[in-house]
Amino acid sequence: MTRISLFINASLLALCLGAPGSHAGGSQSDLPPWSERAIVDDVDIKALAASGKDPIEVLQPIGERLFKAKFTTLDGAGRPEATQAIVPTKVRRRSQMSFQRLAGMDANACASCHNEPVNGGAGSFTVNVFVSEGFESADFDTLDPQFSNERNTNALQGAGLIELLAREMTADLHGQRQSVVAKARRSGQPEKIALETKGIAFGTLTAFADGTLDVSGLDGIDDDLTLRPFSQKGVFTSLRQFTINAMNSHHGIQASERFGADWTGTSDFDSDGFADEMSAGQISALVAFQATLAAPTRKADLPDIWQEAAAKGEDLFGKIGCTACHKTSLPLDSLVFHDPGPYDTAGTLRQGDMVTPLALDLGTLDWVKELPRDEKGRVLVPLFGDLKRHTIADAANDTFGNELLAQRFVARDVFITAELWGLGSTAPYGHRGDLTTLEEAVLAHGGQATESRNAYAALAEDDRQTVIAFLRSLEISE
Amino acid sequence: MRRLVLTVSGLMLSAAAAMPALADESSQQSVAPVPRFVEEAEAAGIAHSYDGAWEFFVGGGTAIFDCDGDRKPDLFLAGGKNPAQLFRNDSITAGPLKFSSLQTGLDDKQAANVLGAYPLDVNNDDILDLVLLRLGENLILEGKGACRFEAANRALAFDGGREWSTAFSATFEQDMNFPTLAFGNYVDRSAPGSPWGTCHDNFLFRPEKAADGSVRYPEAIRLSPGYCSLSMLFTDWNRSGEPALRISNDRQYYRGGEEQLWAVPAGRPPRPYRKADGWQHLTIWGMGIASIDLDVDGFPEYALTSMGDTKLQKLDVEADETLPVYQDIAFDLGVTAHRPYAGDDLKPSTGWHSEFQDVNNDGLWDLFIAKGNVEAMPDFAAYDPDNLLLGQWDGKFTETGDQAGIALNRRGRGAGLADLNADGLVDLVVVNRGGPVSLFRNVGKGTAEDPKQIGNWLAVDVRQPGKANSRAVGAKVSVKTGTRTVVKDVQVGAGHASGQLGFVHFGLGVAERASVRIKWPDGDWSHAYRVFANGHVIIERGAEKAKLWYPE
Repeated sequence: MTRISLFINASLLALCLGAPGSHAGGSQSDLPPWSERAIVDDVDIKALAASGKDPIEVLQPIGERLFKAKFTTLDGAGRPEATQAIVPTKVRRRSQMSFQRLAGMDANACASCHNEPVNGGAGSFTVNVFVSEGFESADFDTLDPQFSNERNTNALQGAGLIELLAREMTADLHGQRQSVVAKARRSGQPEKIALETKGIAFGTLTAFADGTLDVSGLDGIDDDLTLRPFSQKGVFTSLRQFTINAMNSHHGIQASERFGADWTGTSDFDSDGFADEMSAGQISALVAFQATLAAPTRKADLPDIWQEAAAKGEDLFGKIGCTACHKTSLPLDSLVFHDPGPYDTAGTLRQGDMVTPLALDLGTLDWVKELPRDEKGRVLVPLFGDLKRHTIADAANDTFGNELLAQRFVARDVFITAELWGLGSTAPYGHRGDLTTLEEAVLAHGGQATESRNAYAALAEDDRQTVIAFLRSLEISE
Repeated sequence: MRRLVLTVSGLMLSAAAAMPALADESSQQSVAPVPRFVEEAEAAGIAHSYDGAWEFFVGGGTAIFDCDGDRKPDLFLAGGKNPAQLFRNDSITAGPLKFSSLQTGLDDKQAANVLGAYPLDVNNDDILDLVLLRLGENLILEGKGACRFEAANRALAFDGGREWSTAFSATFEQDMNFPTLAFGNYVDRSAPGSPWGTCHDNFLFRPEKAADGSVRYPEAIRLSPGYCSLSMLFTDWNRSGEPALRISNDRQYYRGGEEQLWAVPAGRPPRPYRKADGWQHLTIWGMGIASIDLDVDGFPEYALTSMGDTKLQKLDVEADETLPVYQDIAFDLGVTAHRPYAGDDLKPSTGWHSEFQDVNNDGLWDLFIAKGNVEAMPDFAAYDPDNLLLGQWDGKFTETGDQAGIALNRRGRGAGLADLNADGLVDLVVVNRGGPVSLFRNVGKGTAEDPKQIGNWLAVDVRQPGKANSRAVGAKVSVKTGTRTVVKDVQVGAGHASGQLGFVHFGLGVAERASVRIKWPDGDWSHAYRVFANGHVIIERGAEKAKLWYPE
């Protein structure tokens, strides 16, 4: 009798802490209360998905702890034998330093860079990162832009909604692709389609009767029509993919789903003596934390003079053409954030890797309930962006053309439209965070934004001030 | 996160619990993910058997190629005494395999006695033709489109001969607009003392242009001595730009014979590499050649199946690289596959078709070997299942045939691995002697009802439109992901009486993109084509970007 009840208690405990087979990082009870281990909690996401429990409640707190935690060598932080590359890549030469400001690892906590004005937020110039593919010259130790792209830290507030928008737009574009290919097969003639989703145009696609596709007319999106909304250049598909990339690159913590034995032949690819440094459940927790971060809003209780100026400025913002790219909002059909998502590939957990994905219903969150809706009841995500890439520098105006390296097939002078929500809380500005005033940032717009930029420059001083007042009213609330 | 110690003991535990009878390297668990194959020939509509008397103990090939222009690979199956059959691929994308039987265009006499087949565009009309290896007159079938074929020996002035033909390879020699054809022959049954020591010579056919610009093959150049070849391959073994002809021979019937390498210099008569040239004397029961450049040094490695040990030949690092001196690394890499890996039979295996493909899309090459007793040879294993040796990250290979579900009790001969349902997972066709054709659908790590992807993948179709050799036979496809590069050649030949032309398949592991370069048959390298994973791309010579193809 005693044996049976002990067994039941033990299995209940196992369910709570993470069933055997998951990469449980030792239970809380093993560690002394002063332990410096940061990665402690784990979750069996397969069991969680099957249980019907609200995954946000379970995962978000764990994710927040992980986001703020300072990872240590006790967690397997550090990647002596692996580069910052997002595909498992061994170093050519082992570096003497574990921390290295440029090639990494360059941090031991997510929140050490993502912290302005609150955790999950942006970062100042001080915490810029140096993005390199991690293949050739992976251990660079120079600021020379030939070796890396220096990037300012983005705010993650609202990222869950951004990813949901990207998923819907991708599904829509894939559907349009499918229908133009089917049309061409039926008609036996080449068929062209102008791609558009949620009011954003992505160029043209021509399909031929044999099922081939001419993608040379695409604009602002990858050839596979997967909208990748994350990073300054818009080259990463999902929060999950990015989290795994960042955990390796910045902290040397290698998630099993990317760096594990299936893909590398070893569970300790970075050879730091720690196997399976981060589990799928722990990544899900980080994803849940980021996806549920409240979207930026507008400053409340502004003095009248500011409110009036901001209203006028917002109006001008549209009139001079800024909203062509910095769209006031985009509509979202569904608020259910599935983890894993539908567009990740091998190396990031995919929906096919689980029986059912976790369903994080962002609609249950208070801050989502307060978002405006359109007449169809769709949430209007107030991002001031279009999730599309544009050329933003040219010979005449090269401020944003400082980078020398292309990133993931995207040219050096092409970036995704920066979402302006939260702008008032995330100075300095620009992808390198080297523009201290908004006016400088606006005047730096070249390339496809030249006309709007010139229209701004042509405004009277007072009018320009109203635009600044408007932009400064967009904040991440603390 | 677990400490490393825990992981190691975990692995050991699972290894101990795993595999059966034979306590050697082959019983280790694969760390690389093992794909599952589901056999569904009958459900797919393929009822076919390769059978016949002694002459059909060997052969049993399949040609996998698109004959109706929809880019889905169709199947031609040799039948031996049974009529050869042609099947059109009607599979739904990512769905169960489905094939429909079509007319071959052969009369009853021609359809019988077929040992093998290879697809190739012989007459440069960009429609794939078929070369049939027969007991008796070999046939070149001209593709007319829509999977119709017409025997074209007369039109091509090609003498199909009367030999027992068992091997084939083709290449486009320098400055030639049409392919050079090599036919390998087996035993000369009419020679005195046959079959012992009475192997037929092999023949080379170089193209000649007729007055109207079309191609003829009037002259058969004798490649003597022949040693009962069962596999041939034109291969650029030494990065010279000029393919040589490798011939794998069956020592069962030759006397004083050996493996052969023939130099085929442009415009000059072919001549064999001799001992003086550095070629070493190697005698095996050569059944099938598979070529791959495992370490991407530009020099291909060759897997040679046999009875007993499979050889894996690598150019000897200590020898001068201009000499064809090979060392056998099969044992080091764990690909000897010398005995059945399942069952109680400890007698040596008999290997036939071999082929390198990435079946789990992890970016590492895997090796498939079709196995089966010749007929009832008492000294060799009776239950002899086909091998699926999965490449591992330590450079070795691990047997996973039974875990993958392909360890049937059938006598495998020719085979082919190709993505038949355009889902990015490479499927498997095995022609079995005296048994039904096996048609395996690769369902990844899922099930027949619910297939699941493993690694990322890329399918590349290489074309030279408007030029001779429009299918780019002899091209090298180089796929770079991060710091890794894998290469594969577009070849006509090798295997056991079986060939394929179409999309070249690559596994990309966890890479989301790749950079593809083509070394065209004339040696020119293309620029790098940037492509995303998990799709079909068509690279046409001179095009700035790759074309994408979306199956229905």
